[in-house]
Amino acid sequence: MKKNRLVVAAASTITLALALTACGGNEEPTDGGDATGEVRVWLVGSDTNDEARALLKETFEAENPGSTLTIEEQSWTGLVDKYTAALAGSDAPDLVEVGNTQAAAFTSSGYFQEITAEQFEELGGDDLLPGFVEAGDWEGKHYALPYYSGSRVVFYSKQVLGDTPVPTTLDEYVATAAGLHTADRSGIYWPGQDWYNALPFIWENGGFVAEPKDDGTWEAGFSSEGGIAGLTQIQEAFATSNAPKDGQETDLQVPFCEGKVGFLSAPSWIQWSINAPEEPEAEDGVPGCASTYGSDLVAFPLPGKDGGVAQTFAGGSNIAIAKNSPNPDLAYKALQIILSDEYQSIIGAAGLVPAKVSLAGTVDQTNPIAAAGVEAAANARLTPASPKWADVEAAGLLASAFTKIASGEDVETVAKDLDAQIEEILNP
Amino acid sequence: MTVVESPGVHAELGARPLSAAPVRARKRGGARRRVGDVVYGALAVVVFVFSVFPVYWMLNTSFLPNRLIRGSDLHFFPTPDVFTLDNYRTAIFDESRSAFIPALWNSLGVAAITVVVAMALGFVASLALTRFSFKGKRTFIVLILVVQMLPGEALFVSIFRIIDSWQMLNTIIGLSIVNIAAVVPFTIWTLRGFVNGVPAELEEAAMIDGCSRAGAFWRITFPLLAPGLVATGVFALIQAWNEFVIALIIMQRPESMTLPVWLRTFQQATQATNWGAMMAGATLIAVPVVIFFLLVNNKMTGGLVSGAVKG
Amino acid sequence: MTLTTTPVPLARRRRLPVMPWLLLSGSVALLGVMTGYPVVRLLVMSFQEYERAQLMGMPAEWVGLQNYVDVLSDVDGFWTVLLRSVVFMAACVTLTMVLGMLVALLMIRVGKVLRTLVTVGLLFAWAMPTLAGTIVWGWIFDTEYGVVNNLLTRVTGESWMGHSWLLDPLTFFMILTFIIVWGALPFVTFTLYAGLTQIPGEVLEAAELDGANGFQRFRLIQLPFVSSIVTVLVVLSMIWDLRVFTQVFALQGIGGDREQTNTIGVYIYQTGMAQGHYGLAGAIGVIFVFIMLGLSFYYVRRTVREEEL
Repeated sequence: MKKNRLVVAAASTITLALALTACGGNEEPTDGGDATGEVRVWLVGSDTNDEARALLKETFEAENPGSTLTIEEQSWTGLVDKYTAALAGSDAPDLVEVGNTQAAAFTSSGYFQEITAEQFEELGGDDLLPGFVEAGDWEGKHYALPYYSGSRVVFYSKQVLGDTPVPTTLDEYVATAAGLHTADRSGIYWPGQDWYNALPFIWENGGFVAEPKDDGTWEAGFSSEGGIAGLTQIQEAFATSNAPKDGQETDLQVPFCEGKVGFLSAPSWIQWSINAPEEPEAEDGVPGCASTYGSDLVAFPLPGKDGGVAQTFAGGSNIAIAKNSPNPDLAYKALQIILSDEYQSIIGAAGLVPAKVSLAGTVDQTNPIAAAGVEAAANARLTPASPKWADVEAAGLLASAFTKIASGEDVETVAKDLDAQIEEILNP
Repeated sequence: MTVVESPGVHAELGARPLSAAPVRARKRGGARRRVGDVVYGALAVVVFVFSVFPVYWMLNTSFLPNRLIRGSDLHFFPTPDVFTLDNYRTAIFDESRSAFIPALWNSLGVAAITVVVAMALGFVASLALTRFSFKGKRTFIVLILVVQMLPGEALFVSIFRIIDSWQMLNTIIGLSIVNIAAVVPFTIWTLRGFVNGVPAELEEAAMIDGCSRAGAFWRITFPLLAPGLVATGVFALIQAWNEFVIALIIMQRPESMTLPVWLRTFQQATQATNWGAMMAGATLIAVPVVIFFLLVNNKMTGGLVSGAVKG
Repeated sequence: MTLTTTPVPLARRRRLPVMPWLLLSGSVALLGVMTGYPVVRLLVMSFQEYERAQLMGMPAEWVGLQNYVDVLSDVDGFWTVLLRSVVFMAACVTLTMVLGMLVALLMIRVGKVLRTLVTVGLLFAWAMPTLAGTIVWGWIFDTEYGVVNNLLTRVTGESWMGHSWLLDPLTFFMILTFIIVWGALPFVTFTLYAGLTQIPGEVLEAAELDGANGFQRFRLIQLPFVSSIVTVLVVLSMIWDLRVFTQVFALQGIGGDREQTNTIGVYIYQTGMAQGHYGLAGAIGVIFVFIMLGLSFYYVRRTVREEEL
């Protein structure tokens, strides 16, 4: 009993002491108004590379003496939930990246500051990627501007593919994958929750995700004739995959580096993960395979149903100034840097499609993977332009439905349920 | 409620709840008995393994290098030839992840404030509910019970807005206030049971001997409440340490994360899940609690058990 | 200091209602602001169209009972989730109580060493933080590198590698049940054990001499003796398991189909925080509060009656 009391006494003294330290370090940021201040930029995931981050910070701090810029990296997981609360609060960040398909949920609810016509011109005007400008508009005004785009390309290693010819149509793609599939090797490595890769099949088969009807309501199209054809082909493609049927797109480089993957449809930056050294420095625990399957890594744009390039999903991000930003003027200055040619060229060099059409040339054409990315992006499409679309994503409906398709459930039933659920959200 | 309702039993439970010698029939010996012993012994081991396995597996994984974690051979023990602290290094120092140390300070700060304030509030409230009889007491007791049934998820938005309107988002104080409000009903309820267990007559006797009311309370009752205070305090501490969802919403700057929120950053949709580092992170969060729990286990279990059975 | 009993000045205390309320003031103020106000807001929002735009300051529109109508007519959403939560809760409570009782009896039956072993094991499980515990279970059942799949592959000779436990809602809930029961078992066991050890030894010995076998002793003596503890534990477990949040939320983050695995708490969060329908989430919340109050009615009434001073 005595011993216990001592322990508790000691413990509480320690915790108290620690608490005091913690409080001391937690001062409120100084509110410098417009002249100087701390600008907080929320970038999501790892698409923005370190070079671009460093440029943003250094340029900004050099141009605005006395002000600081902090990049706070966010996770795509639960992003909409987090933004919904965080941007509505008084301690909101200044500049935020948001997925292009998620932007409408926020632009339609007054979460972002308006970009005036004048500012819009200054930042690039008509040179900005049109589809992405549209994604960030609301009722004729600009709120979120394009940040970058990136379409998926299909990776493979020649060591795995051998003499098999590269498919030139979508049907060939699935057929080739089926030929490559063994118990130990996926034809197409495709985790079930990854719905981005599924949309091209829908579109190429003549289906659609959701379209506005004449009366202004939305109609979902997975159970349309083309939709069913697409889903059926998707199920065939899933059958060539050994990836977890409910898996997410994590660790894509791991099975690839084990030589267990024929085709891998992924964002182009995955090349850096695959090409990482086998024995990473201790701090970065996840190894690549630069000397084996990464050494002859190549990529091609997903082929279309009738040859050519498939209509792929235009992934990417928009960027906007938060309505509750404490330093909107400084945030605008940071936005100028982000949309500058110099910054966007770094984005292009990293294998993404820059936010400006005129910079498409900065993509390194000598890198076949980057070239494939540009080719794919030329034919890219967006998700339905409804402000409620982000809710469809946040509810995980597509991930859920494709998980079912992957595990072999009846295509028509899944399609019907999915359409009903999507329509319920889009037509409140 | 024959069991734990009398004050005496409270104290007794607080002191030695898990060592009470059970009744055992010692008479009938023989083979059947011995077979029974073996079977029961085996069952006890099964219970132990089921309970401890996740903790063990977490520790084991956290000390293994990633190539073995992802390999197809099973490693049940991090033998010296493969033992590594790399996962801990990654979890704590990796710069591409949110920092561990600030999260640790935040968690400690929140836990300390929560415990101190919740105990103080709970303590004085429990005095009011035990040493006084007044109009509204019953209503208050009912409310204290009912409040604990409310689904927190439904209240998140309003709580967020309150904290926001006080300009306390991303502050230790802000999160502490939410936590205190969450544990105070339980604290009051449990402490009330313990204070009830100390007869008011003791204080009154002291008052006759010349102590003031407060003095009598301080010298006589307070020391007798030690086990109850420890049990309640540990409970509040653990609540604050584990709280996760509210922290997710109101602690959004990377430097204001608490440990559970920090642990969640290991799971990202587009990044590799580093299970080794994640288990190291889970270990870092769990180990202090486990140690604390084992140290105060007698008072802890006794207090909580009696508190819960009482109310 | 002598311990003389005195005519207690109870009457005098009654005349001073200021003091107790003074002592309660801190808690009352805190709970009023941090719990009372949000509950009122919840009620108000449930009658409004309250979405993300309202969170940003747009005035909210009153919609009367529309949110309630929407929720209560949503068979695929609300009712399915509610039914699922109730079935899941029933399974967890039954398992926890039965196992808890068995382990408590076991602790009485075995010797000191084994009892300590069981106690320590249960303490480990009890102390494990909820989130960390859930993540560890997720890792144990991991699709690609999990120890369960690995062992099953070795034992059965078939390949279990790549088998996803979280994909099928049934096995998802099986694992969730594991996590919940594993976490709840220590408390239930310790409480029942504490109750069982209060039974006077002579009673049981007498029964044994009378020829009562183990099961009869349990049914006729031990169970009736702890029946009130059992009731309280059942009610508390029902409440806890119905409002479970962290475990489901975290496990969904690891894998599985959210749509088919939502329980009521996560569903409220999804509707509100994730999709921004705060009015709708408010209506679900209010309905849920009534369900919880209904469940706890017995417990509260019983506790308050026992209070009867």
